[in-house]
Amino acid sequence: MELHLSTFLPCLYAFIGGLAFAVPFNVHGLEVPLASLGGAGGWLVYLLVLPVSGSEVIGYFVAALAISLYSEIMARVRKCPVTTFLLISIFPLVPGAGIYYTMQYAIQGNSALFLNQGMHTLGLSGALALGILLVSTAMRMWQVFRRRSQERS
Amino acid sequence: MQTSYALLLDLAAELGYRMMCTGAEVYRVEESVQRVLQAYGVESGEIFAIPNCINVSLTDPDGQSSTRIRRIPSHDTDVDLLMAYNELCRQVCQSPPPPEELRQRMEAILHQRRTYSFPMYLLSWFVGAGSYALFFGGSLRDGLCGGLCGLAIGLCGRGMDWLHTNQFIRTIAGGAISALCALLLVAIGLGESVDFIIIGALMLLVPGLIFTNAMRNIMSGDLISGTNLVVQALLIATAIALGTGFVLSLAAAV
Repeated sequence: MELHLSTFLPCLYAFIGGLAFAVPFNVHGLEVPLASLGGAGGWLVYLLVLPVSGSEVIGYFVAALAISLYSEIMARVRKCPVTTFLLISIFPLVPGAGIYYTMQYAIQGNSALFLNQGMHTLGLSGALALGILLVSTAMRMWQVFRRRSQERS
Repeated sequence: MQTSYALLLDLAAELGYRMMCTGAEVYRVEESVQRVLQAYGVESGEIFAIPNCINVSLTDPDGQSSTRIRRIPSHDTDVDLLMAYNELCRQVCQSPPPPEELRQRMEAILHQRRTYSFPMYLLSWFVGAGSYALFFGGSLRDGLCGGLCGLAIGLCGRGMDWLHTNQFIRTIAGGAISALCALLLVAIGLGESVDFIIIGALMLLVPGLIFTNAMRNIMSGDLISGTNLVVQALLIATAIALGTGFVLSLAAAV
């Protein structure tokens, strides 16, 4: 596996993009760089997982797990809602390109590729949602578990 | 006692309404309002929220029940306000202030709201769209063009907001304008790849967390909220495709 600096340049772009997206979502303060860092880190995880798994969907899933875990931890450290971090961190994984290429195949009238790309885009969105939900569900279960065990002792 | 229950109902509904308008998730709003009511000793409170409506209902000790319904207008996500209301809920649950003070605190949050200035918005549209054009594999010149298209989308969105256009039309217009700008910029030789420029600019329009929140609702059994959000996410994606597709197919025909 070749590791060029240019391979990791997208992480930098994701970070800068994250900083910019703080404005429309009205995020202020230290949360802005922290959330952007989550996005860059998530893409790094995706880049590292991709050659191992060989599947984009699995890469997205693992990256979503990482971003979600990071957001949950940061939310507890900074005492603010998980959404603050998740909203911005998740942006590099949102399949904007998938929507675009799906549309392009539709215009070209290539129904086979259109269906293929459309399903792939939907699959990526699903992997993303599933990754985030797994972590947030696990976090909730852990909280309940701790409360229950405290009640018993 | 009766007036106090009426006041509580009104305040709880107002709090829920405001939280929904900041883009808070349905489950968060339902949970927060329920907890606030419980903090004031109302055990009979019921909340039901879907993305564009919130119902709060409670029964006073005399057995008189009352309901308040608030319709949620279309709104953006405002994390700063969401955090402020969230913090308020947390404080209220620990030590509930008199209802009048709660109303004052809610007003204070609205007044102390931090927002970014218009030039900051311009900068964010430019940098956001530009960096994602680079992210998806565009050259530096594509990044510059993506930024310009992002500016066009942002300004177009602002104008449409001013005219109270609905989100579907606004997204179609945003997609169309970005495609048009990208074609022009490539035609005059500044941009290199129409695809990367448009994809970068479209990141300003894509439904980020909506699909995730939809799945969250569906899994927890809130099927109405869930399907509502799924349709919303699909509509936005369709609008993006319609807008860009319209311009690109026109350009291909010319």
